[in-house]
Amino acid sequence: MEGESGDITMTSANRKCSAVTGSGRKIKDNTADWHNLILKWEKVNEEGFSTAAKIINIRRCQSEDQLVNKSPSFSSPATAVSAATGGAAELQDACCKLQDIVNKMVAIVTKMESLMTSQRGVQDLEEFQFGPEGRKIPLFHTWNTKQFESTSCFLLDIYSQELKLKQTILQELAHTTTSDLCMVYLSCWLHQPFIHPQTRLTLEALLLETGHRPL
Amino acid sequence: MSKPASSALHQALRKSFQTLENNHKVWKDVLDECSPLIVSLGNLAEQSRALSNVQLSNTPLRIFPDLEERLRFKLLQATDTVLGKLNEKMSSLQSVRDTFSNQVSAVSQLYEQNTSSLDLLTVTERSATFPSVADMLEWLQDAERHFRQQFLRRKTLLQLLTADNLSLLESAPERWKSLESPSAEENIADTLCKVSFFMEAQ
Repeated sequence: MEGESGDITMTSANRKCSAVTGSGRKIKDNTADWHNLILKWEKVNEEGFSTAAKIINIRRCQSEDQLVNKSPSFSSPATAVSAATGGAAELQDACCKLQDIVNKMVAIVTKMESLMTSQRGVQDLEEFQFGPEGRKIPLFHTWNTKQFESTSCFLLDIYSQELKLKQTILQELAHTTTSDLCMVYLSCWLHQPFIHPQTRLTLEALLLETGHRPL
Repeated sequence: MSKPASSALHQALRKSFQTLENNHKVWKDVLDECSPLIVSLGNLAEQSRALSNVQLSNTPLRIFPDLEERLRFKLLQATDTVLGKLNEKMSSLQSVRDTFSNQVSAVSQLYEQNTSSLDLLTVTERSATFPSVADMLEWLQDAERHFRQQFLRRKTLLQLLTADNLSLLESAPERWKSLESPSAEENIADTLCKVSFFMEAQ
């Protein structure tokens, strides 16, 4: 299970608690994974934003070119066509890149789902061992196992929603003509409306409870 | 002519110009840091405007019923953060202004206390390298007025801005830029050049 703790750095503070075994170990590792996945999401999101902005800019240049070409043109038709195809290739590239980025996000959310499953497994095991009311003594400081499960569920919901939004934006971004709507897509991508400020607090609470952050 | 009075005044003037030089640097740095913040305020306002112009129920985003509220919340939150940062910058400008104002009023006071021993010739006498006391006092007051006015204008502009007044927020970058006064900035730089020999003659 230790291999699953991802790339969270082992400081002296959390090494001290590395003697935890069983359900505690599993939950602690899951928390570390949550932390790393959310960090990774942020990084991927930034990449995605610059790519999305690039797509919008290419589209804007194209529509300006078309306006110029409709008026009596001073560039010969041949060069205009080559410029347009150049733009199209660039657009295609950027869209593929955004598709890759969304795929990365899908992978992140899939991993989050498996974390959720594993959390549910821990919960089921506990019910099997201790009955429906669960263990008497908390695994860490104060939380019972159900709270870990509901927290995971909360985080997973948020990121699944956000992923759905990103997928919609990916589908529509390059086909949108109104500049206001383009702006709304970009600002949705940047501000991540489904990830509310509480998300960060919840993650910190998880890290604090499991001892990744010193009390 | 009283030698001690005049040399004390010279010392005080030197100290004031030293303060001016340091404060002017800090002032410019803080203003430079403000520019990107003001630009992002404008951007956020533009995003809010776009959101208001779009009827989300007529777009592919209609599958997210509470998206508009959520996005608006995020935009307001981001605007608030930027305004908070700008207010912090304003406090730094205020402290620059206060430090310098204190310095200038101390020099003026020193001069007024000694007016009886400083005759007209002493305060207006100048050389190729040293400006006259009267000139230097005037330049200090000019600079002080510049800081005071600039601070007030910028502070007033910021106080007008709230996260829900879009048109003001949108025009903020332009208005902010229009407050710039390159001639006054140049005057301060000129002043510092004119007193450079005076400053070196400690």
